[in-house]
Amino acid sequence: MGAFILRRTGVMILTALCLTFVVFFLTNLFPNLEKLAKTQGNARMTDAEVVSWLDNNGYGGPMILRYGEWLGVVPGWTQVDEETGEITGRCIDFGMDPADAPTRCGLLQGDLGFSTVSDDEVGNIIGGRLQLTGILMFWAFALMVPAALIVGVLAGMREGSRLDRSLSTFSIASTATPEYVSGVIFIVFLASSTAGISGTLTEWGWLGGDGWLGDRNTLFLGSARSAMDGGITFWNFFLPVVTIALYGMGYIARMTRASMAEVMTAQYIRTARLKGVSFRNIVMKHALRNALIAPFTVIMLQFPWLLTGVVIVETLFNYNGFGWTMVQAASNNDIELLLACSIVAVFVVLVTQLISDIGYVFLNPRIRIA
Amino acid sequence: MKDFTHVQTQSGLTSHPVAEMYAREHKEGKLDRREFLVRSTALGLSAAAAYSLIGASPAAADGHRAVPAAGGTLRIQQEVRALKDPRTYDWSQMANVTRGFLEYLIQYNADGSFEGVLLDSWEANEDATVYTLNVRQGVSWNNGDPFTAEDVAANFIGWCDSTVEGNSMSTRMGGLVDPDTGVAREGAIEVVDDYTVRVTYPAPDITLVPGIADYPSAVQHRDLIGTNPADHGVGTGAYEITNYEVGVSATLSRKADHEYWGETYLDEIVFVDLGQDPAAWFAGAEADEFDMTYETVGEFVDLFAAIGWTQSEVTTAATVVIRPNQNNAPYDDVRVRQAIAMACDNQVMLDLGINGQGVTAQNHHVCPIHPEYADVAALPFDPAGAQALLEESGNADFEFELISIDDDYRKNTTDAVAAQLRDAGFNVTRTIIPGSTFWNDWANYPFSSTNWNHRELGVQVLNLAYRSGVPWNESGFANEEFDSLLDQANGIQDADARREVMAQIETIMVNEGVTIQPYWRSLFRHYKAGIVNADMHPKFEINVHYLGFEA
Repeated sequence: MGAFILRRTGVMILTALCLTFVVFFLTNLFPNLEKLAKTQGNARMTDAEVVSWLDNNGYGGPMILRYGEWLGVVPGWTQVDEETGEITGRCIDFGMDPADAPTRCGLLQGDLGFSTVSDDEVGNIIGGRLQLTGILMFWAFALMVPAALIVGVLAGMREGSRLDRSLSTFSIASTATPEYVSGVIFIVFLASSTAGISGTLTEWGWLGGDGWLGDRNTLFLGSARSAMDGGITFWNFFLPVVTIALYGMGYIARMTRASMAEVMTAQYIRTARLKGVSFRNIVMKHALRNALIAPFTVIMLQFPWLLTGVVIVETLFNYNGFGWTMVQAASNNDIELLLACSIVAVFVVLVTQLISDIGYVFLNPRIRIA
Repeated sequence: MKDFTHVQTQSGLTSHPVAEMYAREHKEGKLDRREFLVRSTALGLSAAAAYSLIGASPAAADGHRAVPAAGGTLRIQQEVRALKDPRTYDWSQMANVTRGFLEYLIQYNADGSFEGVLLDSWEANEDATVYTLNVRQGVSWNNGDPFTAEDVAANFIGWCDSTVEGNSMSTRMGGLVDPDTGVAREGAIEVVDDYTVRVTYPAPDITLVPGIADYPSAVQHRDLIGTNPADHGVGTGAYEITNYEVGVSATLSRKADHEYWGETYLDEIVFVDLGQDPAAWFAGAEADEFDMTYETVGEFVDLFAAIGWTQSEVTTAATVVIRPNQNNAPYDDVRVRQAIAMACDNQVMLDLGINGQGVTAQNHHVCPIHPEYADVAALPFDPAGAQALLEESGNADFEFELISIDDDYRKNTTDAVAAQLRDAGFNVTRTIIPGSTFWNDWANYPFSSTNWNHRELGVQVLNLAYRSGVPWNESGFANEEFDSLLDQANGIQDADARREVMAQIETIMVNEGVTIQPYWRSLFRHYKAGIVNADMHPKFEINVHYLGFEA
């Protein structure tokens, strides 16, 4: 088991290296650097000024060396201003004496670099944003997993029944509706004071003025911003959570149903039934545990899926978490912020896979990790 | 504490020979009230004195700000951008945040008058070459230093420094900048005594007052010129930044242990960044994320009104230009530029671009509300003639790429131009660039649209955007005759005399087909009932010191 985890960690580091290099390569193509120079410097810089700006700000050297600087294996660049003799450099913070600055400052030294769009250290930004996304993911999972398992088990225990058909239709519909469609539908129906259910309730006088929810005109809030400062309520957080959860729920429910249906046809279930065990006990005591093995892997796989889901949902609901940050970084060619995002993404994908593999062993003793 | 809106009425000049001339012009109907106010207060008259010269009630000048109740937190929907040296600000939004602690010498009011903030009063000599600025006494920096004439002089010298990359104040300083050294002219800025500064122009210049009322002219501490205010927080205003997260939000809180010289009401102001999509702003409004918009655009004006928010409208010289850049072929050919202008009917852009919320313009970027506006002949709307002209220039097969930002009215207006060009037989492709990257290269796109804010005088925007080689010259227009006429106009005090030169300038703009400039916009803002002094400003200014909730 130890060797297995060690090997997985090795794979993770290798994958992270490859991915960050690809991101580094793409964000450092000249047109992208030119865009960066013009945002940071002056929109009207000439081509010569762009080149000199890039040189002065450490974007001049060979790409592989700069990647090394970011990793922290190559000494950070320094630049001496010919007129003033002022020394600037990658590792020299504003107002720091160049002599005190470390030679290397990269990932290995724990320095994630500087975000140009936010005008702040990447390390300061990414933590808070990840935490926000973590809260969103937690609630999405808390809703999605139990709901999906219940729907899946209910559908799978009597294959072909009316209950199975209707739950299956629901699951397929929810999986087939992407977040940017369901999110907009939810906002229109539940979070607009002039349309949908909230609109009708307002018309009836149940909302707004002295309705149930104080002077608020909508049932739910179409913006999750107020949830960011710790004030999470059912009304401001339900829509983003349900938008994410619905999409993944259908898929897990379908997997659970298939697994449950298979278990229900197994020999030992028939034996149990012949013995006169009640249907309820067959499902709860004999079928359930075995039916949950397959969905477990699928649930773990949902983590990386959710990471892409939050990009849409966070932008739609104005929730400034990790997905939103990724969009900002990509659209502004913020190199070091994007690299940090890729590391986080690799980490999340591989750690969840590791947990899924190890968890599998506990659920299914027939599987061994050598 | 004193209410400084009344101080203004007691100080400053009570009359000025040129202002009296304006008053005569106003009575003869040559200047409307707004133009009269802009020009006479720019000379140093108090608003009340200016009103009295034309026999109007000065109460109108005083009564424009109500007194709100003390306390409360107000949330404003507005983009939160990374701050930098105020001289290099390129967004009014940056100044709206820093205005909480970095104040201005003079402010421009929505009614067209100027009012002293850090200046008590100012006077111009007869030919507008020497300005005497009287610094407000009793103002202190929040680090304890007194605010004096030295601060004002240091800021002027900083504003004049054209060697600083992206310093847009240096173009506003005009003749104060020595063209040889690129910094302030020797002896142009003198400290007379602790509270008096004298500014001397080599030639008459009438843009000093509007120039130092503009958003990049935030007054920094004398030792901190050129620094980012977010790093030090030193200012004269009542607030300090307590939270600043780019793209997310910014918070200004009342600074403890700092005695502000004026009145202020709110305890806290939060700027909420909901991105660039007006639909997101509207969703935010329905979710009670903020109390007041920065600007409401397009169809959302009606939507915000429908959910019961108070509407504030101001008519301005703000506009959109859809301009070819003459540094790119085939736009260096005047026939191509004229063909583009002739193929488009400005009324169509007004109707389709901004739902008719404005008035049509004539492609020369001087607005009827500017004092020196001259009515000159526009190129005819003639699609057939445009096509003929295009063929004559040999570019009939050229594929015109028309670029715009990805947002409501600018995109729609540019679409209207593209559609009309296509109707006239042009081969047009439309490119839409997201707001986050559009501005990286805005001045160099071969053919694109740009929005321009309101300026007080007609010559100002011409100096900023069409003079040869200035940083914001996005049309690549370089015309010696135009430049020299503009120099001439910059020094003519009299509106009628200047109008004659302006007529020539405007004719050059039109005949050279420099740009399509289809309409003048009305600006809108919405806020919740019970908020005071939140009215829309022609230059998007929000002065957080005045805001508050109804008493």
